[in-house]
Amino acid sequence: MTKQLHKVCRELLESGKVQVIIGYGQKDRGQPPHPVFITSPEEVEGLVWNDQCVANLTTYLTRKEIRALGKPAIIVKGCDARAIVVLQRESQIDRSAMVVIGMACNGVGEPRLAKCAACDAHVPAHVDITIGEAVSEPVDPERRYNDLNVFMTQSTDERMDYWQDELERCVRCYACRQVCPLCYCERCVADKNRPVRFSTAPTLKGNYAWHITRAFHLAGRCIGCDECTRACPAGINLRLLNLSVARAAENAFGYRAGLDPEAEPVIGSFSTQDKESFIK
Amino acid sequence: MSTIIGGQVLRDMVNDWIGDGKRVGGPGYVGNHLILYRWLHRSDELLLESYPRPHNSIKEFLFPSHEKLYHYKIDGQHIELSEAVLPDAQQIIFAARPCDAASLPILDHVFNWDYRDVFYNRRRSLTTVVTLACQDHDAHCFCTSVGGGPDDERGSDAMLFALGQDQYEVRCFTDKGKALFEGKLEESTRVGKVGPGPERRLDLETVREFLKTDFESPLWERQTLRCIGCGACAYNCPTCHCFDITDEKVGSAGVRMRSWDSCQMAMFTVHASGHNPRSRQPQRQRQRIYHKFEIYPSKFGEILCTGCGNCSRVCPVGLGITPVLTAIQEEQAARAGTGAAQEAGREKVDQ
Repeated sequence: MTKQLHKVCRELLESGKVQVIIGYGQKDRGQPPHPVFITSPEEVEGLVWNDQCVANLTTYLTRKEIRALGKPAIIVKGCDARAIVVLQRESQIDRSAMVVIGMACNGVGEPRLAKCAACDAHVPAHVDITIGEAVSEPVDPERRYNDLNVFMTQSTDERMDYWQDELERCVRCYACRQVCPLCYCERCVADKNRPVRFSTAPTLKGNYAWHITRAFHLAGRCIGCDECTRACPAGINLRLLNLSVARAAENAFGYRAGLDPEAEPVIGSFSTQDKESFIK
Repeated sequence: MSTIIGGQVLRDMVNDWIGDGKRVGGPGYVGNHLILYRWLHRSDELLLESYPRPHNSIKEFLFPSHEKLYHYKIDGQHIELSEAVLPDAQQIIFAARPCDAASLPILDHVFNWDYRDVFYNRRRSLTTVVTLACQDHDAHCFCTSVGGGPDDERGSDAMLFALGQDQYEVRCFTDKGKALFEGKLEESTRVGKVGPGPERRLDLETVREFLKTDFESPLWERQTLRCIGCGACAYNCPTCHCFDITDEKVGSAGVRMRSWDSCQMAMFTVHASGHNPRSRQPQRQRQRIYHKFEIYPSKFGEILCTGCGNCSRVCPVGLGITPVLTAIQEEQAARAGTGAAQEAGREKVDQ
């Protein structure tokens, strides 16, 4: 797969179809691969693909420093590809001005990431070029929410204690926000200071406000790549919050973010058939 | 001769300190995999050995992530201020790694420079630091490259050395350290050993030479473009100490707080006009390296890094001090190589 990836990327750069490849490089074999930006055909040998390519590179698509490099080709896994669908639907990217290279994937991370256990996108969808082979099979929805279901067997008090203990550790480094492909707001609500919307200090109260606000802002938008959870240096299991809102969107509206480029985004649409009366 | 102590005595001491109302901070598990320094409730939360180091630092115990500076109340034209209560509990940082303790004498400079920070200094005077010499290291550790080592004594009041079988040699360096262990130690002939420490892989002279001349080098762009601009490196760094000041107001009363801040965040340098002198992420990465290896040493005579490696340990995109400094060294080596080659070429022509 790596050889084919090199070949494809070399052709893209040589033909001038793209100016930069957003991919994975691995200088030190002892360390996991990291994001790289390849701009010349001679450098494509530096691209790697293996089951430690955990980062979701689509977060770079909206960054001005990366946009300045020119038309990109981006390497995605099945889970990552869903972010591109959402970014396109939310008019954050020009899908026709990029080449999306999908890598067939049977799971990443050591140990395997939690999301991989219920993956139904081993073969990336809505990409321009697919490399490798894998089989994507439908997954029972409840399996996707397995971690949440286990968590919800606890009492309300137990769950509040859990979140208190988790969120107390948050120091507001905003790694969750910065690594997230869908946290692209130019001025995040957490950075608003005229007036301050909620405590910017990492107090427990402020931390609750921050993480709940973020989860709600990602409701029906989060594609479940779990990058926030991976990036959190305090080991806060943000995945549970995201699963909770994702399930609400799926149960109430039959909607999963980033699957169908034509689907109306659940937050950006309404129906007169809505069971709530305020909509009519 | 040496002095030793049993692990059970140590654990009892920790429980006694907590029972006496002292605050004890040390490393322990959070969940199943992550090890962090936290305030301890019982000694069985402590995790002493068999891992390189926690993923955060002990600075939280002296310079907390958020802190009240004073309270205010606004009543028409009248503003009433009241000082925040200064901490007064004795605190013991237990089983810290030497690369954490070494940060304290370094931080002392900046918290006592143009202004004596009352909060930091109060906590510093209330704190006793007991370190555990390192047996293990991982690929991120680089203390030996920045003047430290597995038994670096800087900042420690006492240091433990694992002897195996739940026994520790204790070396007390300060009166605080001696007072803590008074009457608890047994004489012995056993002397603790430390692990080899990480291989020395950075040459700071080479790095500083580069920094003197290459503020505008394309290396910064090339090497740090992938930085996503979070504060994970800074907030888990034992020496990063920047903070922001905000007002937390409810109605007409509130508190003025200070909270950790990081030069990696875009907001850090935004002017009131909206102009941002560090508008691009590579400029912010460059700042972090310059502050640690050029600005702080020029001002205070010490580099702002103890080689703990937390920056690269927690970075979601594989950056941190070592990847950047390694790239600088490679750049310098390539230049030296080119220089030598040109030199050789000239000699050939001369002949």
